[in-house]
Amino acid sequence: MYRKQVRRRRAVLALLVVGSFLLLTVTYGQSPGAVQQGIGSLFSPLQGVADRALKPARDLVSWFDETFEARGENGRLRSELESARTQAVAGQEALQENAQLRKLVGLDRGPALAFSAFEPVTGRVIGRSPTVWHSAVTIDLGRDDGVRVDDPVVSGDGLVGLVASAQGGSSQVTLLTDHTSAVSAKVLPGGAQGVVKPDIGDPEDLVLDFIVSARNIGAGQAVVTAGWRARDLASLFPPGLPIGEVTRASPEEQEASQQVHLRPFADIANLDLVQVLTGGAR
Amino acid sequence: MIVTPKIFVRIALIAVLGLLLQLSFFSRVTVFGVSPDVLPALVVVLGLLGGGMTGAVAGFSIGLLIDGSLVESLGGSSLVLLGIGYLAGHLRERFALRGALVAPLLCMALTMLAELGFAAVQLTLGVDAPVSLLIVRDILLKSLYAFFLGWPIYLGVRRALRPALVEEPRVTRRRQPTVLGA
Repeated sequence: MYRKQVRRRRAVLALLVVGSFLLLTVTYGQSPGAVQQGIGSLFSPLQGVADRALKPARDLVSWFDETFEARGENGRLRSELESARTQAVAGQEALQENAQLRKLVGLDRGPALAFSAFEPVTGRVIGRSPTVWHSAVTIDLGRDDGVRVDDPVVSGDGLVGLVASAQGGSSQVTLLTDHTSAVSAKVLPGGAQGVVKPDIGDPEDLVLDFIVSARNIGAGQAVVTAGWRARDLASLFPPGLPIGEVTRASPEEQEASQQVHLRPFADIANLDLVQVLTGGAR
Repeated sequence: MIVTPKIFVRIALIAVLGLLLQLSFFSRVTVFGVSPDVLPALVVVLGLLGGGMTGAVAGFSIGLLIDGSLVESLGGSSLVLLGIGYLAGHLRERFALRGALVAPLLCMALTMLAELGFAAVQLTLGVDAPVSLLIVRDILLKSLYAFFLGWPIYLGVRRALRPALVEEPRVTRRRQPTVLGA
């Protein structure tokens, strides 16, 4: 009787292990199937309710954490403010010059030229992945709101990620910090181009890889989406979406491994409200 | 643990509640830059209370729900969580572990193992991005949080599954003798 029980237990365990491997083999690298879509649709309304109910508790914990962090951040923000003032003055001059040049070439069609093809839809984050290996959030916008797979997602500060899957009333967004994320980007000023990838485990660090430029890049420079187009192929991101600011850019690292480090403008770890740029050309 | 249909429903509800709490609360708060991960601790507690098979099945199911709700490749989380669920139950059955610190310590140790497992699965499948050393801090802090969260999770789950528990430790209180006429 006991032996039979032990055999049955071993069989169930083996079945579960084999089942896990089979699922992994079948679904790895594939677009989300019916099972994932089904579970996603089932959980998103519950997540929406849980998100609203747990917001006060979340805010309380975040308040304690932010109070600790604010001490260290004060000094950094002061130095950033100084350099931002200098850049703002230079920016004013560039704006005036830009306006004059636009008039000259007849391109003055108002602001957000790059976003004209997109219609932003605002939504709220209702869930987040528990491990750093899968950096994804669930938002309360879905196909019913016009959201489609591969739509870019931004926050008030900059690029956040890309819609990986969309159901009726919810979507899953792969963040910039996910290991599958790669965004073609360029450094301003200078225009050096590369691919922004995450530094897994550190949500405040991104890596700009494969820098195509003869000029060295320095700390403090902004990185935006490149938004390239080649015949029928085009980047999923419109050009000029802010991604982050270069934090570490040693000439040795740039020469040896062709990469610099940047901090994302968007607070990826504490996302709440986001905008999905819907309706762009595919 | 005797798993009747009623208890099965309770375990399923605990799993769904745990998952919702993780996705909507714990994953979205950071303490010293790291979010707590309570799901490995929940699987460990289910394994401790229900034995190896309950732990393994619960781990597999919770893993499937995590991957499914985040629309990730299925199977990775299931594989890791079923392993630690089975291990927790096996340790309890083999060594008859008792004591106030057993649950939090096992939650801490097996959460660390689970986080290493998640890393191993991902690295085996191929990660096309640099991996920061901060991942070590993430694993250590997550394990530490599991130690502090393990005890309340254990108490809550034990209370919910009390009717099914065979080896419910008895609380014996010695009565003070009544002295008549004092």
